[in-house]
Amino acid sequence: MTKPSRRSGRRPPGVLEQEILDCLTEAGRPLTPGEVQTRLGGELAYTTVMTTLARLHKRGLAEREPAGRAYAYRVASDAEAAQSIAVATQMSRLLGKGGDRAGVLAHFVADLDPEDERLLTELLRGLEDGRQGRGSTRRTTGE
Amino acid sequence: MAWLVWSPLVANLVLGLLGPWITRTLPPGLAVRLVPITMVVVAMGTGTVLTTLGFLSFAQVPEVARLGSWSASRLGAEQPWPVTAEAMAGTCAALLLAAGFHTMARVVRELVRVAGTARRLVPGPDGVVILPGAVPDAYTLPALPGTPARVVVTTAMLSALDGEESRVLFAHEAAHVSGRHHLYVQVARLASATNPLLRPTARAVRFAVERAADEAAARRLGNRRLVARALARAALAKAAALRADVLGQGSTGTASVSLSATGGQVAQRAAALLAPAPRPRRAIAVGLLALTTITLLGSSVAVDQLDDRLDQAELPAPVLPSSPYGSPHTIASVLSGG
Repeated sequence: MTKPSRRSGRRPPGVLEQEILDCLTEAGRPLTPGEVQTRLGGELAYTTVMTTLARLHKRGLAEREPAGRAYAYRVASDAEAAQSIAVATQMSRLLGKGGDRAGVLAHFVADLDPEDERLLTELLRGLEDGRQGRGSTRRTTGE
Repeated sequence: MAWLVWSPLVANLVLGLLGPWITRTLPPGLAVRLVPITMVVVAMGTGTVLTTLGFLSFAQVPEVARLGSWSASRLGAEQPWPVTAEAMAGTCAALLLAAGFHTMARVVRELVRVAGTARRLVPGPDGVVILPGAVPDAYTLPALPGTPARVVVTTAMLSALDGEESRVLFAHEAAHVSGRHHLYVQVARLASATNPLLRPTARAVRFAVERAADEAAARRLGNRRLVARALARAALAKAAALRADVLGQGSTGTASVSLSATGGQVAQRAAALLAPAPRPRRAIAVGLLALTTITLLGSSVAVDQLDDRLDQAELPAPVLPSSPYGSPHTIASVLSGG
């Protein structure tokens, strides 16, 4: 697990959150911010770790329980779902930013204009009728 | 054979005019592989011819001629066209090349961003990523160093399609992966970046990629009408969900609502599936190969001719005393400005 970003002290926020979540998962038991800090190599400020853990908790990705004067954190039981929602959000933001225009992502179906929508509705109705034995769509869409 | 020099430029015009028609008419699976390669060869051929012309004008700059030890005036006298035309050709070549690099940098940036997100996707046992989402959507992420290709489907898409229809969806996306469609799309895009005449053809390639995946799915499931049905169903469900999203009823708040440049294509794809399967069209394929061959020949002739011209204009070896490392006098005179 050597991520390229671990080389520099400063990471994009998403990466740090992911690393801390990974760390909590690997531990398999609740960890205090201090323990997380140690496990991540001790190069991060304690407050950074604490703030990130609190943020993860707020977003429903981590659960916490009192442990002495601090809280101990573990990955929330439904963190996987919460995380995939986060990825989905990020993905659709990428789609909106023109990654799609570039053809990096090939969509099954593109967005429709109103004329297309009308055509496809008709076509679908024809196909469904065709399944019941009428089958007259071939003529209308031949060319 | 001197006329061959112009063949890349002619090929460029031909492909610029007929490229979209050729791409639409060839069977899509063949078009996806053949057209982008032709585009690259033609774009590079045009670039080569423009560069050699540009170099001829550059070589007539007195300082450059002195460095290369050829006669600027003799070089200029041999040209049937004015030096300004050559200079313009050279400028064109430089601008097109710069545009190509610019696009390449953008492609790489986009791919890196996508790969970063793709790495966080957790695939199911069959390698498909199912994301929660109110908008029906499905797409394929290209294979990149460190991440295999991923098919991503939202839960809304799966519930919009029946069992047969979702098999169409997966067959379609699998065809993108196994056919390396992303690669061909990017190749066409790069070629069109260095050559604006090829832009409509690059768009046609994007469409051909979807058509190829549709046809592959139809072959695998043995039912063209089923594929058309799945397309129509998915597109209509997506449109309906996006509309709901805009009206604020389904509050995902993240869906892209912009009409993409590929709008208007789903209906065409469905119609093509209801028409008879595409014919082989060997004559067109052979024509494209001929275009590629003649462009390659023309490019090599252009380079040869440049070489010949420079040879013919070469000055006799300087009689000045010279070191084994070349002629310091020549270089010194250039440095001192004459």
